[in-house]
Amino acid sequence: MNMRHLLLLLGSLLLGSGPGMADAYRYHLEPLEIAEGVWVFEGVTEDFSRANGGNIVNTAFLITEEGVIVFDTGPSRRYGEQMREAIETVTALPITHVFLSHHHPDHVFGNQAFDAEILHALEGTIRLLAEQGDDFADNLYRTLGDWMRGTEVVLPTQVVTPGRVTIGGRAIELLAMSGHSGADLVLFDHSSGVLLAADMVFYQRAPTTPHSPGIDVWREELRELEALDFRYLVPGHGPVVSDRAPFAQMQDYLAWLDDTLRSSAAAGMTASEVMVLPIPPRFDEIAVARHELMRSVVHLYGAYELEAMALISEGG
Amino acid sequence: MAIRMHAALRRCTWLLALGWLTSLPATAALPEDPFRSPMWEYNLARYLGADAAVRHSDTVVIKTPPFAEDATQVPLTVDLSAFPHEIKEVITWVDLNPVPHLFTLRPEAAEIRTVALNFRIQQASTVRAAVRDEQGGWHVGSVHVEAAGGGCTAPSATASNPDWADSFGQVRGALFSPVGGVTGTRLKVQVMHPMDSGMVGNIPRFNIETLELRQTANQQRLASMALSESASENPLFVFDLEHDAQQSGILLLLRDNGGNLIESRMGI
Repeated sequence: MNMRHLLLLLGSLLLGSGPGMADAYRYHLEPLEIAEGVWVFEGVTEDFSRANGGNIVNTAFLITEEGVIVFDTGPSRRYGEQMREAIETVTALPITHVFLSHHHPDHVFGNQAFDAEILHALEGTIRLLAEQGDDFADNLYRTLGDWMRGTEVVLPTQVVTPGRVTIGGRAIELLAMSGHSGADLVLFDHSSGVLLAADMVFYQRAPTTPHSPGIDVWREELRELEALDFRYLVPGHGPVVSDRAPFAQMQDYLAWLDDTLRSSAAAGMTASEVMVLPIPPRFDEIAVARHELMRSVVHLYGAYELEAMALISEGG
Repeated sequence: MAIRMHAALRRCTWLLALGWLTSLPATAALPEDPFRSPMWEYNLARYLGADAAVRHSDTVVIKTPPFAEDATQVPLTVDLSAFPHEIKEVITWVDLNPVPHLFTLRPEAAEIRTVALNFRIQQASTVRAAVRDEQGGWHVGSVHVEAAGGGCTAPSATASNPDWADSFGQVRGALFSPVGGVTGTRLKVQVMHPMDSGMVGNIPRFNIETLELRQTANQQRLASMALSESASENPLFVFDLEHDAQQSGILLLLRDNGGNLIESRMGI
């Protein structure tokens, strides 16, 4: 091998293996303006995989008179950085606020791309992320591989006080709920009528239940959200809508899940038997329903089984 | 030099022949593992004996989710409703766990066609259930469970609860009709017990080692079960029992390695 070949080889090693490399680990985030100054990045309705890099989530940003409000930062450092780049193609205004809906990894692992001093979340979200964040990261590194490179947990520094606030001329209402994860922040932009519901609402994608305080709590809070006078609804997962269809689907699915777990426990079924029960055909359009039923049985069924058994010995 | 080579070669040939002869009976009897687990032959010899007659069977049905949502509590149901032989013994294990064995169940006066118990998983692994028939042959069912792992070395929830002793040994349970129209009784029972695996720093092994089911009236033993470190905390047992004199009620006896005897009565 002569010197010229060696240099070429060295050069190609340094530059990566051609045009494919530049495209690797790109989420191709395309902001979509759904109302005046309200932009959404829509993810796929799948589970985490190396094919989607964890882009299974909807994130958003709002442009105010003074800057940009970001709502959730996505599943990885790469996502957060690419989200920022995409925002900069739309506006030159600075990012003034980042609101984090809840502590689940697909919503907060892009935090590194933003100044920690402007990360806002509910008190419960900060606590839960501090407790569980590293385990989430381990699990996602295993599931997503290199998509996660450099991703670390960054805790929000600003505690959200629920209620109405005006930010750069926008009338924002921050609602504190708990049904999905124990601490769920919903952002209602009165100026545009957009409701950023995050994972309080899933649409065409089965809801996940790992930290839900209970289906009954979640359903009650969904009724409160549905009563809001919104024009557009951005669910945490699934398509953006301008009607109330996601609420009907959520109520239907959660009621079915609750009834199924209760009647299965009353019949004495084992957890593995419940996991393979038929799912009604009306839920065919809901993505990953079987996968989420299996997960929900692990999260929730034990409490239903406990109710269906009698105390035989006190112990202690 | 040539002579020494020759002698060495001959010795090698002898060793090879000897090795072939001694290994033949054991390996010839074992079917290939479709999951290619590195622990297949080792665990078969360990739990079923070196000369066990083993075959795969699709009538030994292991119901687990394909992935472990919680590595400390993976649901397992062994469904033997289609098993065409008498059931003498059921042994379950998780191939790649530090202590693979989960339980050994021996039905006595009762016939048991379904048994369920949650297990811990330390890494993605094959899970096995081996059933011994009346001829002494073993029928093995296998599934693979994907897992992030760490289930055996995670501190118990009990350990982080300062009031754990208040509920220690508490038993909840109920009798049901078996699922799927089988005659008999389904027994579901949960015991509050940390089931410490001994694999967490400074917490010695503390687990239930044996379970017995007896008829209350005549103390006749219906079944016995031996448990190991792969069994989950606060274990929840399910048995589908078919036996005579069901009106007499069932006595449940649990013993742990700390000398505790937990006794409960169910039914009339």
